Amino acid sequence: MIRIVTLSEFPPDVIDFVTRRLHAAYGMGCELEGEGEIPADALDDEQSAYDAVKVVDEMDDDVTLYADDKIVYLTNEPLTAPPGPMGRGPVDGYAQYGGGKALVTAHGLSDKGLPLEVGLAKRAAHYVGHLWDLHHCFDPRCAMHPGWSPGFAAYPEVALCLFDREKSERKIKLGSS
Amino acid sequence: MATKTHEPVIGDGSLHIGDRVVYPNQGICRITGVETKQIAGQNWEVVTLSREEDGATVMVPKGKVMGIGLRKVADVAAIERVFDELAIPNTDPQLDWKVRHRENADRMSGGGLFGTVEVLKGLHALSRVRPLPQKERELYDNARHLLVGEIAAAMNIPLHVAEDNLDYALWPPPGMTRNGRPLPPATLGPPSPTRPAAEDDDLGLEDEELGGTAEAVAPAANETDVEEEQPAPPAAHKAAADKEKSKSPHRPPKPALAKKARPAAAKKTAPAKKAAARKSAPAAKKAIPKKPAGKAKAKGKR
Repeated sequence: MIRIVTLSEFPPDVIDFVTRRLHAAYGMGCELEGEGEIPADALDDEQSAYDAVKVVDEMDDDVTLYADDKIVYLTNEPLTAPPGPMGRGPVDGYAQYGGGKALVTAHGLSDKGLPLEVGLAKRAAHYVGHLWDLHHCFDPRCAMHPGWSPGFAAYPEVALCLFDREKSERKIKLGSS
Repeated sequence: MATKTHEPVIGDGSLHIGDRVVYPNQGICRITGVETKQIAGQNWEVVTLSREEDGATVMVPKGKVMGIGLRKVADVAAIERVFDELAIPNTDPQLDWKVRHRENADRMSGGGLFGTVEVLKGLHALSRVRPLPQKERELYDNARHLLVGEIAAAMNIPLHVAEDNLDYALWPPPGMTRNGRPLPPATLGPPSPTRPAAEDDDLGLEDEELGGTAEAVAPAANETDVEEEQPAPPAAHKAAADKEKSKSPHRPPKPALAKKARPAAAKKTAPAKKAAARKSAPAAKKAIPKKPAGKAKAKGKR
């Protein structure tokens, strides 16, 4: 089951669209679990964005996770991530690879030229994919394609490529057993 | 009485118990010890490894440690060189699949860190030209999995940050630089072929969202099946005809010509997959099991 927790206010039809798209992309149940608050001390040093890793690690919620449950936190706030060898780049979410929690932001979607619900669903599908150990995909139509690439806006459908679809199905089967 | 105080020699002596290593087929592991196991009546000295991503135990015969490409996790300096390498665009992918397959197999098993980088870069460059076939898509995913794990382990950063950074080099976002040099922003690559409609999972969502489009398509698909059924000759006749065709010395050399001789309606409605199967498999064998199934399907629908 994919459980959605909102950390900002979203119109109900947007959440409805996201749950439907996640259900269609992964073939597993998806529901709105409730609302939460983003930890205030997760703000980065410049106090301009939230450190995505900290937000996920420090999130204090009472959601119970079962064997193959995944939680997706949705927010409107700008996010950042620890710098890597390439420095800092665009961050639209964070996921614990092969873990249970992911964070997705709607921040910056208006610049992409996609409707809020479509962009948010595509990002959510991407980060849920990371929870199932999926890596980035070169296919611009796939939801696992990097979000900063031109393919994100060029192909608005929320779907996985054949390879990722099959890989996620295998992982989901293993997870539920 | 002597007690064993010396550490066992693993591989060429550079590996020790407790080291984090990269196993090309398994990912990042930690060496947990050297044990003697009795397998099929023989004593084997095996190196035991614990896979970090799921804690699974992997055992490798001690004599094969170097042969499988087991090596220590790279240091930070090596990872920086990896990113320097990744940031240089590869515009000349190997197009000969035989050469590519051989080179990539060698690089993955014995090429070390930079071998894996070359595989990923080469397949990434190829994917910008055309979609990768299934086997190479798997290889691309394996190479990416290994590299992401090694970068994360070497730099002590989360896997997600490691993968994002890897792709900041491969698909640079606007404004990304490496060593003060701006990288050309990513362009749109070719999409992979979509899943055939027949295999698509229907989760019942399209009906609600698209206002019954799926329902509108369904009868048309049924009609096609029925149309396909009518002009086709009975299975036995067709098998015999095909057999004769294959024996005949005047058999047209190209399958395209053989296709032209078929009834027009059958040709129009036959799915591409079936046509391909007929071309590649012996006709007589194929026709017998296929036709009764098609008939049953059509009858059921009527």
